[in-house]
Amino acid sequence: MLELENEIFLEMVHNIQETYGYVPEREINQLAEKFDQPRAKIYGAIKFYSMFYTEPTGKYVIRICDSLSCHLNDSHDLLLAVENFLGLKNGETSPDQLFTLEVVECLGHCGEGPVMMVNDKMYTELSKGRALEILKECQ
Amino acid sequence: MVKERKFLKGPRLRDVSTYEFPGLKKALSLGPDRIIQQISDARLLGRGGAGFPTGTKWDLALQQQGERKYMICNADEGEPGTFKDRYLLEERPLKVLEGLMIGAYAVGATQGYIYIRGEYSEPIKIVREILEDAREEGILGEDIFGSGFDFDIKLVRGAGAYVCGDETSLINSIEGKRGISRIKPPYPIQEGLYGHPTVVNNVESLACAAEIIKQGAGEFAALGTDNSRGTKLISLSGDINISEVFEIEFGSCTLSEIIENLGGGVRRGRDPKFVIPGGLSTAALLPEELDCTYTYEGIESAGSSLGSGAIIVVGESRDLVDILLKVSRFYMDETCGTCFPCREGNKQINYMLSQHRNKKFSGQEVELIEDIGEVIAAAARCGLGQTSLSLINSIFNKFPEELIEEVIHVD
Repeated sequence: MLELENEIFLEMVHNIQETYGYVPEREINQLAEKFDQPRAKIYGAIKFYSMFYTEPTGKYVIRICDSLSCHLNDSHDLLLAVENFLGLKNGETSPDQLFTLEVVECLGHCGEGPVMMVNDKMYTELSKGRALEILKECQ
Repeated sequence: MVKERKFLKGPRLRDVSTYEFPGLKKALSLGPDRIIQQISDARLLGRGGAGFPTGTKWDLALQQQGERKYMICNADEGEPGTFKDRYLLEERPLKVLEGLMIGAYAVGATQGYIYIRGEYSEPIKIVREILEDAREEGILGEDIFGSGFDFDIKLVRGAGAYVCGDETSLINSIEGKRGISRIKPPYPIQEGLYGHPTVVNNVESLACAAEIIKQGAGEFAALGTDNSRGTKLISLSGDINISEVFEIEFGSCTLSEIIENLGGGVRRGRDPKFVIPGGLSTAALLPEELDCTYTYEGIESAGSSLGSGAIIVVGESRDLVDILLKVSRFYMDETCGTCFPCREGNKQINYMLSQHRNKKFSGQEVELIEDIGEVIAAAARCGLGQTSLSLINSIFNKFPEELIEEVIHVD
């Protein structure tokens, strides 16, 4: 049990990830010490959450929602265009470590689909052209 | 013509320094028993989807003995099609804060949490600033408004797990564990966060509570029907012309009126193929079933449920298998994996569906899907699992000609 009431584990992991872009092994070791838990348990908790990474990701994490409401707004076409442009499939990172592509379940902008998130920034009602422009600006 | 009834919606409300916190001030003068009486008299039902009476929840929590209690705002809105809590967090976050504080004072909690899904970067930023401002202004902290009530709130960001919207999963998540559900009982009210009595309320429920205390239970209870009091925020999306958050007085209109009048009708067509009235965990309704009044009981009598208020319209020309696959992939991705039938069942169903592009299902396969659904519903311990097949099964039931092979009888 990770019961340190003043330290919220999720927030600590978020902060680590904000610093390094992912959660490196040495930080997992430190968390294990701090919470007096086996490393496997810390690792298991982190791996449960799809937004946490234990391997380096691209500088830009691209999230595209293909859940039902966005799907009805043609998110699949947007996804194909982005996959094509980046040469990446769901979960992959580009060799130059610039982009990671994630197909996700619902970003909560169901009325403004299709949507794409670039790190923390949300883009709504995206055309394929506009999405590729945004990605080109990242390059 | 259907009109919105704005009880929760209103102008942007984010400036702590100019907000008077009228509901909270009134609550502090009423005292716990009378606050809970008001919430119970208003007959507010939890707005996250399960519909448990908020007054009862608070009353049970008040009666719990314990050295400390916790009050949690569940802002882990993640069911596809649902975005009404995001509206409140972005536009009316002070009402949510106020509701959380009223609840905490009523049940005797001294520490609060707001758990916001990690993908909601904008609401996270807004709520973080509001909490900082509230601390600076002395709205949070010790002896709030000179009442002797001490309370503070921690913001916790989720990290991409739909199942954390289940209250026991959410509690595990705050504790730093995998966000898997717990076996009930004990209920969170008895043994929740770190083993202490804990109340978990949805964002909209808390905003309702703040308005009920400010405006009076009578004002709220006068809206709606006997079994569905007040208003409901609905998130309208899919094949529809106007797609946004609307506020509806319960019983003031039917589902089809919502789609026609507020949503501006079905996009690219006259009739929908079907409508999902309450998010991906609720059964589909056919066009001829949409004349039910928008109330808990009205939608139940049509054979579905109101859920979180997410109405998704699916247009006439849509391919059913494509939609079934989307729904199924959601549950396959988001099951927490604890209950075997939910973890394996949803995976198998996704596999079966993926084998059927342009090919109908045999009666045996449909039976198998139904069976798996029944087993999951019986064996899963959280709402996500229990309802994971509601929509898929309803689509098979309602579109047999399109999905199921014709049975050839040989005499």
